[in-house]
Amino acid sequence: MNDPKRPFSPEVKTEAERWRRETFDPAAVQRPERKPFVTDVGIGIEPLYTPADLERIGFDYLRDAGFPGEYPFTRGERPGMNRTDPFVVSAYSGFGDAEACNRRFRKLIEIGAEQILVALDLPTQCGYDSDHEMSTAEVGQVGVAIDTLADMELLFEGIPADSVKRIGTLGNSIGPIVLALYAALGEKQGIPWSRYTVNLQNDPLKEYIARGTQILPAEPAAKLAADAVAWCVGHAPHWSPMTVCVNHINSGGAGSSMGTAIALANARHYLNLLLKQGYSIDEVAPLLHMFPDERHDFFVSIANLRALRRIWARLMKQTYGATRPEAMACRTTVYGHGQEALAEPLNNIPRTAFGTLAYVLGGASYVYLAGYDEAVSTPNEDSARVALRTLQILAHEHGFTDTIDPLGGSYFIETLTAQVEKQILDGMERIERAGGALAVINGGFGRQVMTQGAVRRQRAIDSGERPWVTVNLWPQKPNVPNTAFRGDPKATERQLARLAEVKASRNRAAVETALAEVDRATGEGANVVPSVLKAVRAYATVGEIVELWRKRFGTFLPSTEF
Amino acid sequence: MREAMPKAPRGRRIRVLIAKVGLDGHDVGARVVARGLLDAGMEVIYTGLRRTPEEVVRAAIEEDVDWIGVSTLSGAHMTLLPKLRRLLDEQGASDIRILAGGIVPQEDIPALTDKAVARVFLSGTPIAEIVDYLLGQTAHA
Repeated sequence: MNDPKRPFSPEVKTEAERWRRETFDPAAVQRPERKPFVTDVGIGIEPLYTPADLERIGFDYLRDAGFPGEYPFTRGERPGMNRTDPFVVSAYSGFGDAEACNRRFRKLIEIGAEQILVALDLPTQCGYDSDHEMSTAEVGQVGVAIDTLADMELLFEGIPADSVKRIGTLGNSIGPIVLALYAALGEKQGIPWSRYTVNLQNDPLKEYIARGTQILPAEPAAKLAADAVAWCVGHAPHWSPMTVCVNHINSGGAGSSMGTAIALANARHYLNLLLKQGYSIDEVAPLLHMFPDERHDFFVSIANLRALRRIWARLMKQTYGATRPEAMACRTTVYGHGQEALAEPLNNIPRTAFGTLAYVLGGASYVYLAGYDEAVSTPNEDSARVALRTLQILAHEHGFTDTIDPLGGSYFIETLTAQVEKQILDGMERIERAGGALAVINGGFGRQVMTQGAVRRQRAIDSGERPWVTVNLWPQKPNVPNTAFRGDPKATERQLARLAEVKASRNRAAVETALAEVDRATGEGANVVPSVLKAVRAYATVGEIVELWRKRFGTFLPSTEF
Repeated sequence: MREAMPKAPRGRRIRVLIAKVGLDGHDVGARVVARGLLDAGMEVIYTGLRRTPEEVVRAAIEEDVDWIGVSTLSGAHMTLLPKLRRLLDEQGASDIRILAGGIVPQEDIPALTDKAVARVFLSGTPIAEIVDYLLGQTAHA
């Protein structure tokens, strides 16, 4: 009891071992444990955690936990967390054309969405205009079609850019273009950039191994994404133009710990590009957000967020020499999922609610929640409403958000946080040894990790090792209901007509001049955003700008490995 | 490639082309199925992402496959699958059959299985069910 870092008697360890030997183990012989308790990340869960576990992991409160809003930010990156700065209730939505989608956005804001992230359709995400051959059957399917600034104007008609906390989109492979579209939208609405906040995902590197909207080879794609961050440093330093994602890497099979390691390697790649251009870590790090993800195990999810904040803080301070707390504080965006099933979709409401509760308890800053029908299609209005209401219930009912980091100090959570942290750090070291983020993509490491994990998960489901209600417990026939969202052929027609009209009415010479400037800036390796901004102001299309990049850099080669 | 187990009947092993058609980039399901069929002793080729129907048909004919397994998640199935069938038939490859896997609303399935595809397997189908189906179809052929 003399060691001030030891808040409990050393007898606890002896007693915990005795309990296991004399009480638990004999009982477990009589009534065997119902399964091996192993999490998706492979960490085994003990029947009981005690202060002895904190001693085993060498837990030091001031060094490892600290206080909210202070280094190492384990307990939260905002000083008052949900008491003073509640997590932002966010909605991700998009379908059809701008006209149809605008009505949904107004509805979402009316019922309390504080941030709107636009889901783009696949042609837009992949840099094809709606009238391109590759866009056949895909216009407005999984998101809204955006070809030009005219679509953005219509999409946000009656929704001033500063009327919600943040607006934005994913735009992973077209980052500088979507950034320019949001900047030009403010100009059109007469709202200065300082008065609203744009959030982009703009994280192309994960697309190559996980999400699949890559356009160019990875190296130039990462440079263009970094350009968007660099532009914001000078023009809108309060925007968050890059959200580095674990989400798709985890769900694709890597698992949340290796997924976090890969995402952090990606973040380091972008940061290194910016540092090489002469920016300081204190300038650029605050503009990057992280998008953690864990859908299988509630407590691992909480541990993951806490570990991520600690790793980010130490990485920024110790490796990069950051001095501003803002550069060491890891802001997180999360998208609440569970293991959603196709059968009996309403069961996905509790699944996503529990998954999101873990993120809230883990201290996420911006929170989305998947629609109960999202495993099937673009959420319908009813499921979008339920998702928002669930977030509001998590924020305001049950007292979930009354105290900061409510599980901090738990023997279990602190142990798990340290174990998850170690897995992530080990993963980062493996990636570093393999050659960093680009090697993960080009060298096959990423794909290997993903496929192995996906196959492992499928086997765990097929064998029943990972219980899943209505899938392997009380199995029900999967069903995609006829009410599932479908693309609206009329929306596609409207979109094609609008694109033709914009192309006919715009100043052709101005478009050509602006595109030539984009091409020149790209060739010179300069920041492309200023020229892209001029091009979108002149109503150049997304496809026209991307085509310049395709010509210059070539396209990615799809991997046929599995 | 791993040593494959010779589970398939007859001398020739079942050859399957797993395909991603269109812009949808989610290929985890496609790759897991590809791996599962390989483990069951079939010969499996994967097209990689973002192929046109023309490219898929060309690969299927060149590789002399028995089946094309198309993963479809983005809602483009009613356009892309019939097109694939038509192209196969036009190029004298009527013997190559199509399986669809992924997200397909219930009411679309009869129209698809009537002409374009032999069977639709929704996301979450155990791999064993797909393997059994392919082995059964080949035994009856």
